[in-house]
Formats: sequence, structure tokens, C-alpha cells
Amino acid sequence: MSEDAIPETLEDHLKLLRAREDVARQMGGKEKIARREAAGLMNARSRLDALLDPGSFSENGLLGVSTVFDEDREKTPADGKVAGFGLIDNRMVGVVSNDFTVKGASSSVTNMKKIGHIKRTATDRGFPLIFLGESSGARMPDNMGSEGMGTMLGNDPHQYARVRETPWVSAVLGQCFGSSAWYSCLADFTVMRKGAVFAVASPALASLAIGQKVEPEDLGGWKLHSEETGLVDRVVDTDEEALAEIRKFLSYMPSHNGETPPLAPVPEGSDKEAEKITKILPDSRKRGYDVRKIINCIVDLESFFEFKPRFGRTAVTGLGRLDGGVVGIVANNPIAKAGALDVAGCEKVTRFLVMCDSFNIPIVMLVDTPGFVIGIEGEKKKAPGKIMNFMTALQMCTVPKLSVIMRKSYGQAYLNMGGGRNSDSVAAWPTAEVSFMDPQYATEVVTWGREVSDEEKQAIRDEMERNSTYLGLAQIFAAQNVIAPQDTRRYLIEELKIQQLRRTRGIGRHNLANWPTTF
Amino acid sequence: MTITNVASEVIGSVWKVEMKVGDAVKTGDTIMILESMKMEIPVEAPVDGTLAELKVQPEESVDEDQVLCTIES
Repeated sequence: MSEDAIPETLEDHLKLLRAREDVARQMGGKEKIARREAAGLMNARSRLDALLDPGSFSENGLLGVSTVFDEDREKTPADGKVAGFGLIDNRMVGVVSNDFTVKGASSSVTNMKKIGHIKRTATDRGFPLIFLGESSGARMPDNMGSEGMGTMLGNDPHQYARVRETPWVSAVLGQCFGSSAWYSCLADFTVMRKGAVFAVASPALASLAIGQKVEPEDLGGWKLHSEETGLVDRVVDTDEEALAEIRKFLSYMPSHNGETPPLAPVPEGSDKEAEKITKILPDSRKRGYDVRKIINCIVDLESFFEFKPRFGRTAVTGLGRLDGGVVGIVANNPIAKAGALDVAGCEKVTRFLVMCDSFNIPIVMLVDTPGFVIGIEGEKKKAPGKIMNFMTALQMCTVPKLSVIMRKSYGQAYLNMGGGRNSDSVAAWPTAEVSFMDPQYATEVVTWGREVSDEEKQAIRDEMERNSTYLGLAQIFAAQNVIAPQDTRRYLIEELKIQQLRRTRGIGRHNLANWPTTF
Repeated sequence: MTITNVASEVIGSVWKVEMKVGDAVKTGDTIMILESMKMEIPVEAPVDGTLAELKVQPEESVDEDQVLCTIES
């Protein structure tokens, strides 16, 4: 039967339809798929198989092709982007999986309509949206010239209006330029496979533009994005791991902003772990420690899911569970720059607060910071602006906020980390020290320009230290509770019950939902 | 055989080295203590193995991300 002939019977219609569907599922052809397999790379469809609950994928636009040039109809199965709906842990998600074997999964007229449909449906019907990124950017020559631009781009005024109605996830699984890069910035969670590249344009184009060789890893490799830009939340070695990370992230998230995050059973042994805190917290106030060890003792066993572990290491952010409910943890990490918050740390916390506020996730702040990093480098990077961004975000958050002062809490950072009524409830450990400035430096400030002996300085400093303890906070009700470190888990679980948003069934006002996605 | 580089999290100086080359180390063991911003920052083994090389001495200044020692496992 000829391709163009219209079948006469239903049976022939169906036979032709199945044949066309089979061709579409072949993607860019056996050879290209085999080459990827040999290189250890999954393809657009096998990625969906690994991501979604078995048999749950319902594809939309399987027969979509490019119609800009007649000869492309045969060369563009599914128009290079496999799209549809499916289940993850029995919950609905929308997915777009880029098929690099079809014209580099470049964005074209038909496949952009597919993306738009999945995005609109996910947003309107309230479920997460997942982009499996691997695309070369806009399709050429389709979008060349003014007519090409007018046809291809600028037809959706909401395409990049990120309002965080439902969680968005992006995976950087290959070359990600153009839309794959944009969606990786807009997503609430972005995971990157080592070896993938995430940039505005390709290394080849960059080399052409600036006249020197640009290495892919320098332009947009995993080290750049996990350590310097912070645009990537987690880095993995394989496609399979990336897909598992997406499933894990979504297990903490509500399907949309009108519901609370899903509960999970509490693993046995979680309460026992909480007792280990006293062994991790050093006796000396001068000794640093990795706050992640403390977090792991507080949250439900093995529930801590860290964001951006290599970026802005003075702060730790991540999702975890307390008595089965999801919380967002923001902590200072004394192992990095003594826990003094730097510009990257502020950016990381701000972005995390935005996500928690948008999706009804209560915030727990664990405080041990001598303040903000001061110095020329930070000022050049707009440190005051970053500190205020963080502060504004915190004050505008309408989800419950709890703050625990573990040790140091100094100066403006005292407010940024939830002190001074910037959280709904403050608890202090007996090891808490709170003041405007570390007594050592403060002694120098108050004695400047005066002849003061070392003994007198020491006496001033001792007096300041005595006045910086938890007792001052407790006596004037600046801390609502003083707790032993090993009771922190129990305290937080009880306090979260008090602070839950009963009048709105746990739903916040989402003041930060339309904040930018990069800070 | 894998060699793991252990790098500094901070700019500072080496205060104390608590282990010597050839010592067996377990994940989380303190190999040395740095001093930075008036704080003592422990450098912990990220993996189990043997301390293969110490690249710094007490009182030496160190940069962020500078490799301090290596562990063979």
C-alpha cells in the first residue's frame, strides 16, 4: 500500500497507523541508537522507561513531525521531543524527553507545541513537569530570517513565566543549549550527569564567536555548575542515577502548590540517632564540625536530601523529614569558612527559601555562624544585596519557620537565620552565643583610640562573653525555648505541630512563587 | 587501588597534624586540624584507607581547595 493512498477499510487504516507509529518509535534510527548504547547513553524512550512507573507512559504527539520543509517529514519522528504523561510512585507527572537522534532534539514548530501542551496541562491540572534535557537549541535553518523567527519564537507570552504552581524538574543529560538550558534554570531541581554540557550556546559556536578554542567542560561542565554557578543541584555519574534522583526529589514534593508534601513512614531507629548529636558537637566553641552530621541525627533516618552540596558550602540546604513530614533545612556549616555566610551561601539559601515557600514546606534553620563574610571579594559580588535578598525572602515566607541557635549567631546573620522574630519560634541550645559581634573583635572596636592594657581588654572581653549566652535570650523571651541538643528532634516535631497552618490546611500564601530563578 | 585527594575547605593555616604517613584511616577520622577565622577546622578522611602522602606541615598556609594529603584505598 502506498503511503499516500487513503485506506479503504478500518483494518487497513489501523495497519497503516500502527506502521507509522512503529516508525515514530524508532527515533533517529537503529544505527544512532546503537551508537548511544555503545557509549553507555540511554535514549529518549529508555530514559522514560526508567523514570516512570512501568507501563504508565501515555504519549502525546507520537506522529508529530516537522512540516517546515517537506523533506523533513520523514526525518523527524516525534519531531525530536518525546512528550506525554505518566506516573511516578503512582502520582501523575508531565514529561518531555529530548531525542538527540532526531535533528539534535532542536526546538521546532511542532515540538514546541508539544512542550506547550504538556506544560499547560501540568500547570492547569496540578502535577509536576519534568524535562529530560539534551538538545542543540533552536532548529536551523527553520528559524532563520525574520519569517523564521516570527514563526518559531515569541508565540507564547507565558513560556518562561515561572510562577511555581507545580514543581518543575530538569535533567542535564547531554548537550543542553537553548531551551534545555533555559528549563534547567527555571526548574526547582536540576540534576546533571557528568560529561553533559549546559550552556547558552555550544562550545563550537562559542569558539567561532570569540576566535579561540573553548572546551566543553570549561563552558558548561559539571564542575562549573555544581561549584561556581550553583545552577545545578546534584551531580551524578550515569543517566540511571539522574532519573533515580528525580524520583527521589519528587517524593518530597506536593503535586502542586495547593496541597502539602506527601507524608512517609518514619524509619525505625530515627529517634535513637538523635542522641548522637552530643558526640558530634565539639566541646570547644572554637572547633568546627560538619553540620550535615547534626542534620542527619535530627531528621528521620536517611531522609536528608541535600541541594547544591558543592556550591556555597558555608550554608547547607536540603529537604528532609521530621516524623514523616517534609521540612526544608537551612543550616550554617562551621566546617566551611567557620560557617560565615558568603555570597554563594546567601544565593543558595534564598533560592531554597523560594522553593519551600512556593510548595508549603516548613523551614528549619540550624544556626552556627559568626556572621557574614566581609572583605573586598564579597563586596564586589554585591554582598549587601545578596544579604538583603535572603532577608526579604525570609520575611516574606509564609510557611512555618523554626530556628535553633546551636552555637554562634552574630550581627545581621542573627536576623537572617531566624532570630529577632524572623521565625515563628526560636530555640537555643545551652551552647548558644548571641551578640552583635564576636567579643574578640568587639573588644577592639570599643577600645579603639584609647590606651587600654591587655588585662583591661581581657576583662571587657570576659564580660562580653558572659553577656552573650542563651540566658539573656531566654530571660527577655527572644528565645521561646532552651533545649538540650539531643532533644532537638523531639522539640522540632512538637513545635511543628503547634505551628502548622491549620486555617489554610497547611497552604502558605506563596509570596515568593514568582521570584526569579537565579540570584 | 584508588588515590583520594583530601582538600581544604577553607583559607587558613595548618595547626596540628594528627596522623602520619602509613597510618590506617577510617571515614570521618580527623587527619589534621586547620585554623581559620579563629576557628579550628578538622580535616576528616572522606574514605577508608591508608594515609599515603602529607602535602602540608604545621603552620603552613593553605588555600581553599588545596590538596592537603592523599589516601590510598
